[in-house]
Amino acid sequence: MRVGKHRKLAALVAASTLLLAGCSSSSDEGSGAYAGPVKDTPGTINVLAWPGYAEDGSTDPNVDWVTPFEKATGCTVNVKTYGTSDEAVQLMQGGGYDVISASGDASLRLIYGGDLQPVNLDLIPNYVDIFDNLKDRPWNTVDGKNYGVPHGRGANVLQYTIGKVNPAPTSWSIVWDPNSPAKGKVTAYDSAIYIADAAVYLMATKPELGITDPYALDQTQFDAAMALLAQQKPLVAEYWADYTKYIGAVQSGSITVGTSWQVIANVLNGEKATVGAVKPVEGATGWSDTWMISSKTEAIDCAYKWLNHIITPDVNAQAAEWFGEAPANSKACALTANKDHCKLYHAEETDYWSNVYYWKTPTEECLDGRTDVKCVPYAEWVKAWSSFRNQ
Amino acid sequence: MQRNPKARALSLISLPLAWLLIIYIGSLFALFITSIWKIDTFTSKVIREFTLQNFIDVFTDRAYFNVTLRTLVVAISVTLICALIAIPMAFFMARIARPKSRPVLIALVLTPLWASYLVKIYAWRTMFYPDTGFLNWLISPLGGSSPGFGMIAVIIGLSYLWLPYMVLPIYAGMEKLPNSVLDASADLGAKPGRTFFGVVLPITWPAIIAGSIFTFSLSMGDYITVQILGGTFQMLGNVVYQNFSLNLPFAAAVALIPVIIMIIYLGSVRKTGALDNL
Amino acid sequence: MALIEIRNLTKSFGSVKAVDGVDLDINAGEFLTLLGPSGSGKTTVLRMIAGFETPDSGSIKLNGSDITYLPPYERDVNTVFQDYALFPHMDVITNIEYGLRVKKVPKEQRREKALNALAQVRLSGYENRKPSQLSGGQRQRVALARALVNRPSVLLLDEPLGALDLKLRQQMQIELKELQREVGITFIFVTHDQEEALTMSDRIAVFDKGRIQQLDKPATIYEKPKNEFVAGFVGVSNLISGAAAEKLLGKKGTFTVRPEKIRIASKGASGTVREVEYLGPATRFLIDLDAGAQLVVLQQNAEQSAIDVESLRGKKVALSWDKESEYQVS
Repeated sequence: MRVGKHRKLAALVAASTLLLAGCSSSSDEGSGAYAGPVKDTPGTINVLAWPGYAEDGSTDPNVDWVTPFEKATGCTVNVKTYGTSDEAVQLMQGGGYDVISASGDASLRLIYGGDLQPVNLDLIPNYVDIFDNLKDRPWNTVDGKNYGVPHGRGANVLQYTIGKVNPAPTSWSIVWDPNSPAKGKVTAYDSAIYIADAAVYLMATKPELGITDPYALDQTQFDAAMALLAQQKPLVAEYWADYTKYIGAVQSGSITVGTSWQVIANVLNGEKATVGAVKPVEGATGWSDTWMISSKTEAIDCAYKWLNHIITPDVNAQAAEWFGEAPANSKACALTANKDHCKLYHAEETDYWSNVYYWKTPTEECLDGRTDVKCVPYAEWVKAWSSFRNQ
Repeated sequence: MQRNPKARALSLISLPLAWLLIIYIGSLFALFITSIWKIDTFTSKVIREFTLQNFIDVFTDRAYFNVTLRTLVVAISVTLICALIAIPMAFFMARIARPKSRPVLIALVLTPLWASYLVKIYAWRTMFYPDTGFLNWLISPLGGSSPGFGMIAVIIGLSYLWLPYMVLPIYAGMEKLPNSVLDASADLGAKPGRTFFGVVLPITWPAIIAGSIFTFSLSMGDYITVQILGGTFQMLGNVVYQNFSLNLPFAAAVALIPVIIMIIYLGSVRKTGALDNL
Repeated sequence: MALIEIRNLTKSFGSVKAVDGVDLDINAGEFLTLLGPSGSGKTTVLRMIAGFETPDSGSIKLNGSDITYLPPYERDVNTVFQDYALFPHMDVITNIEYGLRVKKVPKEQRREKALNALAQVRLSGYENRKPSQLSGGQRQRVALARALVNRPSVLLLDEPLGALDLKLRQQMQIELKELQREVGITFIFVTHDQEEALTMSDRIAVFDKGRIQQLDKPATIYEKPKNEFVAGFVGVSNLISGAAAEKLLGKKGTFTVRPEKIRIASKGASGTVREVEYLGPATRFLIDLDAGAQLVVLQQNAEQSAIDVESLRGKKVALSWDKESEYQVS
């Protein structure tokens, strides 16, 4: 799960990275994809993954798709998990990892930073079964070069407590409207990327701003999004980044509505249905994660084998079900333990994903193709978010 | 064998001294150096080029002035609350309780330190829940309601966490106080209150300041309690936490603020002799 | 009427009886010493007079009114502590003014009295020093001034000279006595040093096992100790008892003869010189009497030289003393 249990660790890492900031070295962009063929070279790969993406039985002995891989290939796997995309970028830049499961807001930063290498998809037989609408997308493909294989996706849903929010909301307005009936019980995601959620709402409510991509905001659009966030602040009880804290707050009733993940709603509904989770009419932000290979890996054969292994239909089914998201492999849906899994997560509904805006890293060059203006780059998002949170 | 005793002493302490220099002074220096570097705004990678932009950002954005002020308010409040509780507590332990029961009392004061920091703060979190928390249950019959998450919750949580660090030095200071000095004050006509404020407090003042160095600096740097009990409220530590992965130089610049405040604080209390009481 | 009347005072600490039925009258203006070994109860009596301890039973009257259970701050007595107990955070003059400030004496009056007291203990010019900047003797004087400036009815001194070296102690003994005469305040002085007690006191109360063994003028205590304990604690216990007493003195009982009253002579009680200690103005001999007692003899070195006395070691000698120097202790 994308949980904040690694927070203390993150703090330690923070402290040590402040010290070791000078040690990371940049390198040239990978000169091209591996030509293959994938050989049976034994080796060790260090995997950097969202929690729940590379389970080796240490969380739950029955949840393990790393050990079978090790047995089948002779490759040794070390898994390191991270809590946020920003942490992932930081760790990857530090070096020492061979493969990473990156969300769209991390992948571009890593590609442009020269930390990743293009992937030769011909060497990954399972790639053919990936849903088409996940292939060749801006967060995994740059300049026509593919940088990895999709793993799974999800939408940031609007979650509400049944009985406390009446009627059941269908619009994000309940978290943005200053007269929201849920005033003081709203939550929002504690990351700069949440500015995009404001932009999604503005796309629907203020078409005159002309936002077409919530990650491609010019200064005017960006300012409008920040103003919307400022307007939201009095409604907010807490900003969340910690999954368990969020669940506790919903159970205690101090939070009744806000942005969430399907997996959080599932946990809350574990015993009895307490919350609802919808993708509101305005659409939603979301994530689509990709397995990618470090430009500095020395175990290229094992890395390719890992990429192929992790999107095998049954492994992809296990991982998607364990984490609670839509699998990327179209054949995975038939193999999930819960036969309704893909339906629950809308894996096969192309329409559902049409207004899900996957996390991407905003750049100065507008991602929506506009060339007449400059867009606000992610560094400015971060600055603005930090300032906003400390107003 | 070295004949010169000074040289020998120096060689004995050279390792710890090197440790001190590298780990403490070195890390502060690294912090400072990092704060004058740039980053690549897209990849967040540190570029080792000189810039003052981070400091300009910190000092021109009113948000960071405000958060510094809020952090100071919290650190000072926590220190005052801890002192108000710890002084009578330490006095009781050191001067009134029977000497046999003192070790037990010290152990009791230390019990909060036995449990994990996170466990304690999450326990406070459940108490502070606005509608269902213990505090609300306690206060609502009186017509009030739980303060909920925010600055007050943070101040209470941190006061609870750091109280032992205030009690122990004051206890040590008060235990050192000779009985005869208290007798002398009574003998010269001072009632107990006068003795406490005129003799006990001034003599143990350095110990109180020593305790305040702990509570103040620990509060200044905390960010986890703030995340858990603060609601939307933030302190300097949170700014650093939010920025270290994406803008390390900026985080370093912010991290220098509490360092500077602590240097000023230590400098101003140096004369009281508090540093001998640590 | 006595200034202080103590009646049947008792105090136990746990199972230890520290003070066991003490009766004591102390007169106005007198210098009374409570003398005894440690644990004899003398300090406990003093602390009960000051109010730091509450008696289990008995009463203490000061100027006719019962102060037995009054807290220290309501008693018209002041104490000079063994460790001086100066307030370390105040300078000398503020220390001395403390009692007056507590009693709300106006500032100028207060300062004047404090300066006078400081002059009285010959520390003028030290008013702005901190206690940590003073020597032991100087601290002692400040403690005295701090107590005396309040003009108490009684000044209690708890082994005040104990921490000073010999020279300074002897000097302070004289000064203290002079000071007491000058201010005319009653001093109750606790010590375990018999010489100090003999030098300074108008009267001495000798304590042992929580009781007063003898209360008398110094000379009487020394010359005519009431019992073996007093004889032994004050001066040297040259005790002759049992068979030796019958043989040498022809009397039954226990007797004492002070060392300086005994002469080494050509005839008398015979014995052997076991030890010779040359003291400068005098020489001390330890002599084993053939009759079975052991006596200390102190001889002025008026005529002999040191070489002569050393040669006496191991020699047979005879001792004599005047009949009136013998004193029966029990």
